[in-house]
Amino acid sequence: MGKLLRLIGQRLGLGLLTLLVVSVLIFFAVELLPGDLAEAVLGQAATEETVAAMRAQLGLDRPAPVRYLEWLAGAAVGDFGNSLVTGDRVSEAIGERLLNTLMLATYAALIAVPVSIVLGILVALLRNSLFDRVANVLTLTSISSPEFFLGYILILYLSVKTGWFPAIASQTADMSLGDYLYRTFLPALTLVLVVTAHMMRMTRAAIINLLASPYIEMARLKGVYPLKVIVRHALPNAWAPIINVVALNLAYLITGVVLVEVVFVYPGIGQLLVDAVAKRDFPIVQACCLIFAATFILLNLAADVGSILTNPRLRHPK
Amino acid sequence: MLVFVILYYGVLIAASCAAVYFKQTKAFRLLFSLTLISMVVGIVGGATGLRTIAIAAGILAAAVGVSYAFREFLVQLARPSLAKELRTAPLTAAFGMFVIFVYAVAAIFAPWIAPFGEAEVISSAFAPADDMMLLGADQLGRDMFSRLIYGARNTVGLALAATTLAFLLGAGTGLWAAVRGGRFDVFVGRVVDILMSVPSLIFALLTLSIFGTNLVVLVLVVAVIYAPRVFRLTRAVAGNVVVMDYIEAARLRGEGDWFLIRREILPNTTAPLNAEFGLEFCFVFLLMAGLSFLGLGIQPPTADWGSMVRENATLISFGEITPLIPAAAIALLTVAVNFVVDWMLFRASGLKEH
Repeated sequence: MGKLLRLIGQRLGLGLLTLLVVSVLIFFAVELLPGDLAEAVLGQAATEETVAAMRAQLGLDRPAPVRYLEWLAGAAVGDFGNSLVTGDRVSEAIGERLLNTLMLATYAALIAVPVSIVLGILVALLRNSLFDRVANVLTLTSISSPEFFLGYILILYLSVKTGWFPAIASQTADMSLGDYLYRTFLPALTLVLVVTAHMMRMTRAAIINLLASPYIEMARLKGVYPLKVIVRHALPNAWAPIINVVALNLAYLITGVVLVEVVFVYPGIGQLLVDAVAKRDFPIVQACCLIFAATFILLNLAADVGSILTNPRLRHPK
Repeated sequence: MLVFVILYYGVLIAASCAAVYFKQTKAFRLLFSLTLISMVVGIVGGATGLRTIAIAAGILAAAVGVSYAFREFLVQLARPSLAKELRTAPLTAAFGMFVIFVYAVAAIFAPWIAPFGEAEVISSAFAPADDMMLLGADQLGRDMFSRLIYGARNTVGLALAATTLAFLLGAGTGLWAAVRGGRFDVFVGRVVDILMSVPSLIFALLTLSIFGTNLVVLVLVVAVIYAPRVFRLTRAVAGNVVVMDYIEAARLRGEGDWFLIRREILPNTTAPLNAEFGLEFCFVFLLMAGLSFLGLGIQPPTADWGSMVRENATLISFGEITPLIPAAAIALLTVAVNFVVDWMLFRASGLKEH
């Protein structure tokens, strides 16, 4: 057990180190601006004095490593400084939106994960049948479509033409959970479609890979029913790849969420990021990027740890 | 309407009977289950439901026919060795090649095919389609159809440029790292790990916010984002080749790194690298479309599919499907490339012999 904990601790440390390097990357990317931050924000027309005042206000006269450490220390407790455009605190702008984005992603994940694992196993069972071929073409189409295409198709057919669901995921403060689920159904469904397709294909591949191993053949030759072969013999060994697939695709949700939020005008952190990029509001861009990158690294870490936990062979590396 | 419904069921049932008569069990099962489904759809959705099924079946049949004919066409044009491969290609791959061919023609001959220029304002905003404008006008009164054709040139061309650059960068470093090994290999591997731990869209947004959105920056940024993925694959594939005896022999002959890469490793890694190029193109294409959709990619007035969807999105709330056509064009090309890549991977894996 102690060995296992140490192994997981190692992975966690590695993840933390990666996050640290990424934070350096995010912070110093802004330093690459032609001129410096003050000149970039104020533009060509600014006078010497305003630029100097801006520099003093942002503390640009101090060396970059010092400012990085301050930024990192602030970020660790959720303080990302002030917005360049509005002057408000970045943490305030992000706070509620982060919650919204997390809710949307959780909503989509709760539908997508069970559906795609069951469908993936089903497709692996019925491989090379008509059902499998149709599923293959459909998932491929869904993966190949940009998220905004799927989103607008859903808006057109489930909202504009039939009026079943609202096209814009507007939020009010005193909304019940049922109301929330109803209003955000279309953005969640868009994410589900994209992620399910990925997860289904990867689950299918993982299971088919296993079905080729000798012990499965043995079970089949014993006369075990096909469903039992899958559930009793293949599935226990398939958990590792499936957990990996789930975590990787949840990480994929992160990128998908940005485009989906813009399509459905959903007040989440993705839309905030896109707006901030257009306005060149760097503190917000940096904060959002750090949050997205941290989630991404965390999910990849979860995939790693999950596969160690479910696969004894990984616990004893040679 | 009634005539259509009678004709619809008549054709389906006659085809089912014919399938049974000629002992085509698979076709019969397909046709008869379609008849049964149609009955349910007919009751629920009425004649419009049936019409939708008929149109879908018609489009499917047309796609199958076109792919079949195009495959035969390619077989007759190709060299004998290639023709044999092509004859065994699945219809999906033939369909993919046909779609890529059409896009290429549209992109290369855009100025001759498009009736108007890409930035030419010829009518009022959102004018409906007529004889002159096949798909109507966009939000500034430019011809949608012409912009769609020019979009093939701009969107696909830029994605292709970025993919090629990413490939040169990634595959070059990958091959070099595989040949050199040692510290250089480990160092590049670590750098790639870091670059890949940031989601690609987020990375793109960060860099574009800093360097602004011009085309050169866009291509460079996307190339840098996707080069690590190419590096990983190339390094893995080349890693298996580098340990071969013939590489050892070449090294003992005193050949340099460049010779090893060019004459010994590259010829043995072309198949997976070609497939990877196709896959990477899909990713790059989707990322660039996403960026353009967000208003951070190709800038107006240049016609581009991603931004066309965004600019005309208001039409969707009136039940129009025109804004979806550029998005569909993106999806169709990605599907087509995927179909061809699937076939190439299948061919490279050597499964056909068994």
